[in-house]
Amino acid sequence: MVDTTKNTQIYSTYGRKMAKPVNPNVAGKMLSKAKRPLLVVGSEIVDNEQIIEKIVAMAKKGIPVAATGHSITALVNKDIGAKYINIHSLGTFLGDKNWTGLDGQGPYDTVVFLGHKKYYLDQVLSGIKNFTDLKALAIERHYMQNATLSFGNLKPEVHVEALAELVENL
Amino acid sequence: MSDIEAGKFSIDELENVQITIGKIVGAIEKKAEEEGIEVGPTPKPGISGLRDWDYKLLSRYQPVYTPVCDQCCYCTFGKCDLTGNKEGACGINMEAHQARETLLRVITGTAAHSAHGRHILHHLIDKYGRDKPIDVGPSNLIAPNTQAVTGIRPETLGDLEEVMDYVEEQVNQLLATIHAGQEGAAIDFESKILHGGMLDHVGMEVSDLAQMSCLGMPKAETDTPLVEIGMGCIDPQKPVLVVIGHNVSGVTYIMDYIHDHDLDDKIELAGLCCTALDMTRYQAEKGGQPHAKIIGTLAKELKMIRSGVPDVIVVDEQCVRADVLDEAKKLSIPVITTNEKIMYGLPNRSNDSAAEIIEDLSTFKDPGALILNFDTLGEVAPELAIKMSKIRDDMGITALPSDEELQELSEKCVQCGACELDCPVNLPIMAAMKDGVDKDFRKFEELHDLCIGCGRCDQACPKDIPVLNMIEKASQKLISEEKGIVRAGRGQISDPEIREEGVNLVLGTTPGIIAMVGCSNYPNGTKDLYKVADEMLKRNYIVVMSGCSAMDLGMYKNEDGETLYEKYPAKFLAGNLINVGSCVSNSHITGTAIKVAAIFAQRNVTGNYEEIADYITNRIGAVGVAWGAYSQKAVAIGSGCNRLGIPVIVGPHGSKYRRALIGKPYDEAAWKVYDARDGSEMPIPSAPEFLLTTAESIEELFPMLAKNCIRPSDNSMGRMIKLTHYMELSQKYLGHMPEDWYRFVRTETDLPLAKREELLKILEAEHGWEVDWKRKKIISGPAMKADVSAQPTNVKRLCKGEC
Repeated sequence: MVDTTKNTQIYSTYGRKMAKPVNPNVAGKMLSKAKRPLLVVGSEIVDNEQIIEKIVAMAKKGIPVAATGHSITALVNKDIGAKYINIHSLGTFLGDKNWTGLDGQGPYDTVVFLGHKKYYLDQVLSGIKNFTDLKALAIERHYMQNATLSFGNLKPEVHVEALAELVENL
Repeated sequence: MSDIEAGKFSIDELENVQITIGKIVGAIEKKAEEEGIEVGPTPKPGISGLRDWDYKLLSRYQPVYTPVCDQCCYCTFGKCDLTGNKEGACGINMEAHQARETLLRVITGTAAHSAHGRHILHHLIDKYGRDKPIDVGPSNLIAPNTQAVTGIRPETLGDLEEVMDYVEEQVNQLLATIHAGQEGAAIDFESKILHGGMLDHVGMEVSDLAQMSCLGMPKAETDTPLVEIGMGCIDPQKPVLVVIGHNVSGVTYIMDYIHDHDLDDKIELAGLCCTALDMTRYQAEKGGQPHAKIIGTLAKELKMIRSGVPDVIVVDEQCVRADVLDEAKKLSIPVITTNEKIMYGLPNRSNDSAAEIIEDLSTFKDPGALILNFDTLGEVAPELAIKMSKIRDDMGITALPSDEELQELSEKCVQCGACELDCPVNLPIMAAMKDGVDKDFRKFEELHDLCIGCGRCDQACPKDIPVLNMIEKASQKLISEEKGIVRAGRGQISDPEIREEGVNLVLGTTPGIIAMVGCSNYPNGTKDLYKVADEMLKRNYIVVMSGCSAMDLGMYKNEDGETLYEKYPAKFLAGNLINVGSCVSNSHITGTAIKVAAIFAQRNVTGNYEEIADYITNRIGAVGVAWGAYSQKAVAIGSGCNRLGIPVIVGPHGSKYRRALIGKPYDEAAWKVYDARDGSEMPIPSAPEFLLTTAESIEELFPMLAKNCIRPSDNSMGRMIKLTHYMELSQKYLGHMPEDWYRFVRTETDLPLAKREELLKILEAEHGWEVDWKRKKIISGPAMKADVSAQPTNVKRLCKGEC
């Protein structure tokens, strides 16, 4: 089992409510139990085949995918129905009970983030933390203190291994 | 209003008594009446003067908060934890606190620009007198922001003083609202943010009008000189005098001294940030040659100092690093401060002779000096540079590590990752260190353009490795080739140009204006600016540049060895590339939009801000891009654009402004305007979709730009052109057709001609629209009708029959 709960050094921002470090198996089980999860994928995945592979695997296990930035370019031919949306808009709509989601099926209860610029996602998560009731799970390579649950700071190879374990637990 | 006139008069029978009457209440209206000018309802609006307009904007573009910190640390009741929108001890909640924080940033930026304006105005009035005419080139509307906001039509430098009085009074009122937890509603802080942004454009306008009028700067010229930019264009063999900042007042004395003493070829005068841009405008009017080179932006400040090349550094104000003196001291570079905003703890030598100051600085008695006397400054800076050049050569100062030291430093790295975690851009520094052990420094070189030159890596390293110096050492060849070209700032867009292009802009046949402004903290290096401008210019957008972005755009060349400034002409026409000038010249961008309303549509500007903003919101397809938005000034500029209804996109770092204004396309009730002909409601598409938001990458930015140039008043040809670009850019950069394209279609003629049939089929099959295939006409489906004579407005009182 990969331990993703160490090294939770933060970047430069601070809040009193910080993300709980989480291991991939727990994250996977939590996602499996979510009623309406959404995987939000950022542009840092482009050109990273190993991460793209994990995203496709998660999508094939039934998690809808929102593609922010230009991450959609890596997902258009993967047959997973990923939908483009700007992440700042998404962060806003997620907190609106009148939003019916990317597929019109209703609001989400758990959002998972992967492949984002750390400093950018940190801000989006801050909005979600402070103004919504959503569970936010960061499975990024870096500890995202504004998520509900987050991996710690990981080396790239450990990160891929952790994602593989998460997929196994879905 | 009293009949007493402003001015001075004496009472004959009372000797030595003179009474001065200053500003008269209602004077603006009276003057306008005398001149036959209609004054709108809001000359010199107070904080609440345009609140109704703000509420209209904010009802569609709702504030989105992403706090940088969850606590409020303003007073001794706290620290207060506001997480989850909780209230603090004073009663303020997270939303209102975040809006307050943004307001503080906005008025800081506004103060930076307007204090610069006040400083340079005082200085130029002292030099040229209050009656010096304002001259901006061929324009009747010489101060569009000023006139729309204050109702004042300034003609002389003296007239600008009253404008500054208004701005300063309002900034003070806004600053007072930051105090404690008094304002309970986030939305009213939001209105104040927009007010602050509006004031910023007035303050900037005053700054640039004053300096353009007095310092021989180009006045709405289209063929301003092309000037050199880049660290590589500096000749280090000559004495190098580097100036840094945003206020060219003192530097003009240095330039005059160099010119008058025939030192032009004997000294390298180069600048960083907007002072550098304004140096190239100084006396450049009508083909005059600029006398200075541009090194670059804030991102180059630390890099340039640490190169050891400068022999003397002169700073003025604003975007100047706080550690200039400390860094310069390490390399025996004297620093001269010239402005009360930055004094670095240096002794005030303003009343000493140039010879005394030069002697003390060249013998290192003091590391620098504060010189507020510009005549003295003009002599000291170049003469000291000449003297220090030899002294520093003799001292054999070496600034950057050698190749051997580069390897040794790489070996020192323990791969802890502290530098990467602290780097604002999360650059892969550890990998460069790893390769550096084997004397492979290519990865350091790759970091050069991506690095924003902040130096946080150095501070973070537990082994005290000078990471930034390593990047710069490894990039010496690259730096020596950094030789670009920038077109000197042209100032305003003239009235004749507006008349020529205004109709195309309003009708949408020119697809839009992309204003690329802002600072140098780009998410993925400087070259992205070039890519964006190049793509949009090829597509016939008007691209307008200013400030740091204007500089960085000139750093890259196409396959023919041309920069975009050399490739594209600089008129206010489709497919042209314009540099308006320095940071304060941003006011000319909003000024242009105001001019379009005034000149092309004959709207009354004077004290009529809401109507002008409403016109711009609904008719002028302009989008601001601050891809590297860094400073408080940038958020102030953006907020000023926002109050005029101009949307702004910032790069991902801009999320740290902690607040955005984003519309909800699915909320149909929000996307309606009135038709001013009869007051009826018209549905409109969700563009612009936001007033302020972020984009993750330039690939995402491209379609956002095209889409958000769409306006309710587009005619069919304009809509077709805009829609074509939106679809093409989405397909080119995101690899797919945008999902919402059909929302912008009102009639079949809105559809791109080449794809019309294909798109009609999609509308029928996927969206259930009815199509008459014989005539290839849409029968039903669109949420809105196409009506070129409709007059979209957000302001009910502007509708026929309304009061």
